[in-house]
Amino acid sequence: MHRFVAARLLQAVAIVFLVGTLTFLLLQLAPGDPLSSTSSSLLVPRTVVEQQRRAFGLDRPILEQYVRYLGNLARGDFGYSYREHRPAWHAIRDRLPNTLLLAAAALVVTFGLGIGLGVAQGLRAGSRVDDVLSLVSLTVYSTPVFWLGIVLLLLFGETLRWLPVSGATDPVVYDQLSLLAQAWDRIRHLTLPAVTLGAIGAAATARFQRAAMLDVIRQDFIRTARAKGLAERTVVLRHALRNALLPVITLFGLAFPLLLGGTVLVETVFAWPGMGKLTVDAIHGRDYFVVTGAAVLAAVMVVLGNLLADILYRVLDPRTREAA
Amino acid sequence: MPRICAALIAGVLATACVAERIAPCPDDWCGTAVIATPAEADVLFPPSTQGDIGRSIIDLVFTRLADLGPDLNTVDPTSFEPRLASSWTREDSLTIVFSLNPSARWHDGAPVTAEDVAFTYEVYRDSLVGSPARPRVLQIAGVDVRDPHTVAFRFPRAYLEQLFDAVYHMWILPKHLLGAVPRGELVSHPFGRNPIGAGPYRFVRWRAGESVELVADSAYFLARPGLRRVIWRSTGGDMSAAITQLFSGSVDVLTYLPPEAVQRTETSDEIRAIAYQPSTFYSYLLFNFRDPADPTRPHPLFADRALRRALAVAVDRAAAVRAVDGADGIVADGPVSPAMWIYGAEYERLPYDAARGRRELTQLGWRDSDGDGVLDRYGRRLSFSIIVPETSAQRRRFAQIIQEQFKSLGVEMRITELDFNTFLQRAETGRFDVFYGSYGGDPSPASISEVWTRDAIGGFNFGSYVNPDVDHAVRTALDARDIETARGRWTDAVSLINGDAPAIWISCTVPKAGVHRRFENVSIRGDNLTATLPLWRVPTARRLPRDRYDN
Amino acid sequence: MSRTLRLVWQDRRARVGLALVVLFALLAAFASVVASHDPTAQLDLVGKQYQPPSLAHPFGTDFYSRDLLSRVLHGARISLSIAVLSVAVSIVLGTAVGLAAGLAGGLVDQVLMRGVDGALAMPRLFLVLVVVALWEDIGVVGLVLILGLTSWFDTSRIVRAEVLSVKSRQFIAAARAVGLGLRGIVGRHLLPNIAGPIIVMATLGIGQMILLEAGLSYLGVGVRPPTPSWGQIIADGQQVLRTAPWVALFPGLAIVVTVLAFSLLGDGVRRALDPRSQ
Repeated sequence: MHRFVAARLLQAVAIVFLVGTLTFLLLQLAPGDPLSSTSSSLLVPRTVVEQQRRAFGLDRPILEQYVRYLGNLARGDFGYSYREHRPAWHAIRDRLPNTLLLAAAALVVTFGLGIGLGVAQGLRAGSRVDDVLSLVSLTVYSTPVFWLGIVLLLLFGETLRWLPVSGATDPVVYDQLSLLAQAWDRIRHLTLPAVTLGAIGAAATARFQRAAMLDVIRQDFIRTARAKGLAERTVVLRHALRNALLPVITLFGLAFPLLLGGTVLVETVFAWPGMGKLTVDAIHGRDYFVVTGAAVLAAVMVVLGNLLADILYRVLDPRTREAA
Repeated sequence: MPRICAALIAGVLATACVAERIAPCPDDWCGTAVIATPAEADVLFPPSTQGDIGRSIIDLVFTRLADLGPDLNTVDPTSFEPRLASSWTREDSLTIVFSLNPSARWHDGAPVTAEDVAFTYEVYRDSLVGSPARPRVLQIAGVDVRDPHTVAFRFPRAYLEQLFDAVYHMWILPKHLLGAVPRGELVSHPFGRNPIGAGPYRFVRWRAGESVELVADSAYFLARPGLRRVIWRSTGGDMSAAITQLFSGSVDVLTYLPPEAVQRTETSDEIRAIAYQPSTFYSYLLFNFRDPADPTRPHPLFADRALRRALAVAVDRAAAVRAVDGADGIVADGPVSPAMWIYGAEYERLPYDAARGRRELTQLGWRDSDGDGVLDRYGRRLSFSIIVPETSAQRRRFAQIIQEQFKSLGVEMRITELDFNTFLQRAETGRFDVFYGSYGGDPSPASISEVWTRDAIGGFNFGSYVNPDVDHAVRTALDARDIETARGRWTDAVSLINGDAPAIWISCTVPKAGVHRRFENVSIRGDNLTATLPLWRVPTARRLPRDRYDN
Repeated sequence: MSRTLRLVWQDRRARVGLALVVLFALLAAFASVVASHDPTAQLDLVGKQYQPPSLAHPFGTDFYSRDLLSRVLHGARISLSIAVLSVAVSIVLGTAVGLAAGLAGGLVDQVLMRGVDGALAMPRLFLVLVVVALWEDIGVVGLVLILGLTSWFDTSRIVRAEVLSVKSRQFIAAARAVGLGLRGIVGRHLLPNIAGPIIVMATLGIGQMILLEAGLSYLGVGVRPPTPSWGQIIADGQQVLRTAPWVALFPGLAIVVTVLAFSLLGDGVRRALDPRSQ
C-alpha cells in the first residue's frame, strides 16, 4: 500500500511538472511577451515591469527562463498581479477558501443526488419512472451550467426572493452575527451556486450509477443473496449498493476537472468571490499571471482529486485490498 | 501545498472563531450605507488608484489640503473648502502658502505635518511611482516645508488654476509609514490593501472579491461624519442583480442607474435617483489621423477633414442619446463637460443634417459603384472599425446604434469590443480607426490640453490630432490671468476643434445613482460619488436594523 | 455499418435525436431564409425595445429592438459551425496522435501519453482561458482552432487503447504476414475497427463543444458581437433578467434542446455499436 501511494504521488508530481511546462510553453508561444503587453504606460509603472522582467529572467536564455519559471512555481510564486498590485498567489489565496467551499458543497450535491437517483433508477430499470428520470438527467446534463444558474437565480432569487443572489456572505451584518447565524448566512448564500454546480454533475453521476447498479444486480452473488431469502432491502443496501459504489469512486476523480471548470461560470453568475471569478476578471484585465497561476492551481487540485480517488478505490476494493 | 492548506485552515478559522458581539450603535451618529459596485477597487494607494470605485474609497480614507466646492468651480479661490489646510494665502503670483490644521491626525494617532505634504508631492511627481496625476503635479515647481504646520507651493508661471493644481490632484500620504519604502515598491506595498489615512473614515477590512468596509472616525478633526459605516459590496458585472438588490433594500446605493431603472425610482417608496451634479463626463467617437498599420502615414480615410465633417453631421446623435440615455439625455457639443466653467459658451457646433452629410459624401466622390451597399472611391470602400470597451454597456449600445445609422448612409462601421486594458493599449499604440472614448472626473477645462493638443500625443491624444491654431489658443487660455480672457481663448479653442471634427461628440448626459430615501442631506458631486457622503445622515426615526450596528 | 444504422433507427430515442439534429442543421444552414429579420437590424429603437414575445416576434426583441428569433436562428449557425469544425479538428488530431502512440509504442508512446496526462489534468475551461488570455482578439477561426486544439486529449487516449487492442488481435498479425504495409494496415484494418468509437465521441463531443463555446461567449471571450452567438445573447439577457427574461431564456432553451439531441443520437449510436451497454 505504501509503495502504491508513493508511486502515485510521484506520478502526481510529474503531472504537475508537466502542467507547469505547458503553461510555460503557452507563455512563450504567446505573441510578444506578456510583460511588454502589460507595460501599458498608463496602467503599470515601468519599474514594476522591469522588476518582473528580472524576476522572470526574461533577458536570459530560454532554458534558464524555464528552470526559473518552474522553480518559482514550486515556491508558490506565480508572478505578479497587475490589477491588485501584489503577488498573484496572494490574490488567488484570498479566493481559494471560497472556491473550495463551493466545490465541496457541489460535490455533496453531485454524489448525494446522483447516487440516490442512479440507485433508484437501477432498481426500477426499464420502468416508466426510470425512463422519465433518464430523460430528466440527460436534459440537465445538456444544460449550460451558467444558464441553469441564471434560471435558478431568476426563480428563487429574484422572483420568490427566498435566497440571496450574489456574494458568499452578507457583509453588512456578517461580522455582527453569532457563530451559528454566520454559518446560516453562509449556507443561504451557498445554496444556489452549489445546487447549480452540483446538478450537472449529479446528472452524470446518476447515469453512471444506474449502469453500475444494473451491472451488479445481474451478477450471481445478488441472485444468491435473493435466493437465500434475504430481505430485498438488505440485498440492495448491503450487497448491491456496496459493490455498485466502487466504479463511482473513479467518477470522483473525473468529476473534479468538470467541477472546477464549472466554478468559473457559476462564480461569474452569482458573483461568488472565488478563484473562477478572479480568473475571469483577470482575463478581462489582462492580468496574465493570475490566469496562469489559477490554471496551474486548478491542475494541482485535479491531480490531488485523482490521487485521492485512486487511493480510496484501492482501500475500498476488496480485491486490491487483499492483494496488498 | 502547505500554503494552500494554511489558507484553507485560515479561511475556516476566520469563519468559525469570530466571537458573538452585537454592539448596538450608541449615539446619534448611526447609519450604514451599503454601496453596490459592479467591479472591485484596484488598489487603495491614492497616487496609483485608477478606477472610480477605488477613488470613491480613498476619498473617504484620505484627504486633500483643500477641496472644490459643490459647484466644482476650479478658478474661483473663494469656492474652495478647507480640509487638511485650514487656510492659505497667496504670497505672490508664483507662491501659495498653506497652514495645516494642527488638530489633523492620521488614523494611527500621529499628527499630520508639513513633512507629509512635501513627501506626498515627491511621491506623486516620481516617475518610479508612475501616478496618472503626475503631468498635473509637474505644474508645481516645488513644495517647501516652512515649519511643521506651514508649507509653500511654488509655481514656475502665473495662471488661473494654481490653487486647483496645488490641492486637487493629491491626497496627502503618511510619511511616517511610507517614507522608508523604496518608491518603485510603493504601489505593491501592503499599505495599498490596508490603508491608513487622515480622512473622515477609517479603513476596517477588505474581503477580496467581496467587500470593503470603512467606519467613521469619530475623532475626525473636521465635522464628524454622519454615517457610522460605509460598505462597498461587489455585485459582479450583473446590472440586473445589482438593481434587484437596490430595490429590494439589501443595498443602499447603486453607483449608476440605467434609464429603465431611473424610471422605476419614480414610483418607488424606497429608492430615488440622485444626479451627479455637476457632471464631469462626455463621450466621443475619436478618429485616428494616422494609419493604424503604419503610424508614419496619414490615415487613408480620416486624414480628410471634409470626410470627418460629413460623417459628423450625418449622425443623428439626439436619437441615439434618447434611446440609450433616456429622455434626460444630453448631446455633447464639444470636448466639454457640464462641470467645466466654460460649458455652454458661444463656441461653434456642427449641426445634425443627414441630407447634408449624404450630399457631402457624394461630392467627395464616395459612391456605391459595385452595388454592395457600401460607398467606395478609387476602389477603397468606406469601411472602418471602431473599438469599444466591453465593460461599458452604454458605449456598446451607442456603437451599435451608430453602426446602423452609418449603414443607411452606405458607411460600414465594424465594432470590435475589447476588454478595457486591451482597449487602452490599442488606443495608446494608435491601432484603431475609430476609438470610443469617454472623459470624466476632471472638472477643469485644462483637461482639453491633455487630449486635443500636440503636447498630448503620447498621452491621451490617441488620434494624433494636431492643429497649431488650437495649440496656440489652448496655450493662451492656460496662461490667462483673468477669467474673461481665459473664457474667450477657451471658446476659440473649442470652436477650432469642433470645426476640424477630430471626433464625433456623443453624450454628456448627467449620470444618476440610486440612493435609499432614508438618507437625508444627500447630494453627489460630479467628480466623485463619495465627495459629499460624510454629510449624509439617517434620521433616528427612519433607521433600519443595519443602521443600528456599531462597527 | 448498415446494421448499425438500422439499429440506431430502431432506437426511438436515437431517432428523436437524429431528427432534431437534422432539423437544427437545416435551420442553421438556411437561417437567412427561415429568419424573418436580419439578425443585426435595429427595427425601431424607440418603439420596439424589449418587446415581449408576440406573433410578430415569437421570441420577443432585445435592447436594440432586434428580432430575437432571427438572432437565435443565426446563432445556431454560428454555434453549430464552431462546434462541428472544432470537433473535426480535435478528432483528426486525437486520432492521429492516438494512432502514432499506439503504433509506434516505446518512447514515442511514453512522451505523447505523458503529455496528454498533463494536459488532461488542467480543466479544459482553464486551459482555454489561458490561451484566450494570452492571444487577444482571436476571431472565429482562432476560436475553432483553440477549441479543437484543447480537446483532442481524450480522443487520443481512447484511439490509442483501441489500437492496442486491435493490434493484439489475430488478423493484424495475418495482414502483416501477407506483407501489407503500415498504411494498408491502418487504412484497411485499424480505422474501420475504431470508426465506431470515434463516431460516438464526435457526436457527443459536438454537444459538449456547444456548451463550452456558449460558456466562453457568456464570459465575453468567445464570439464577439454583433455576430450572434447563443452564449453571448444569454449574457446580454442576464442584464435585464427581471424586466425582459425572454432574452436569456430562449437561446438557453435552444442550447439545451440541441445538446440533448446530440446526446440522444450519440447514446443511440453507442448502444447500437455495443449492445451490452443498456
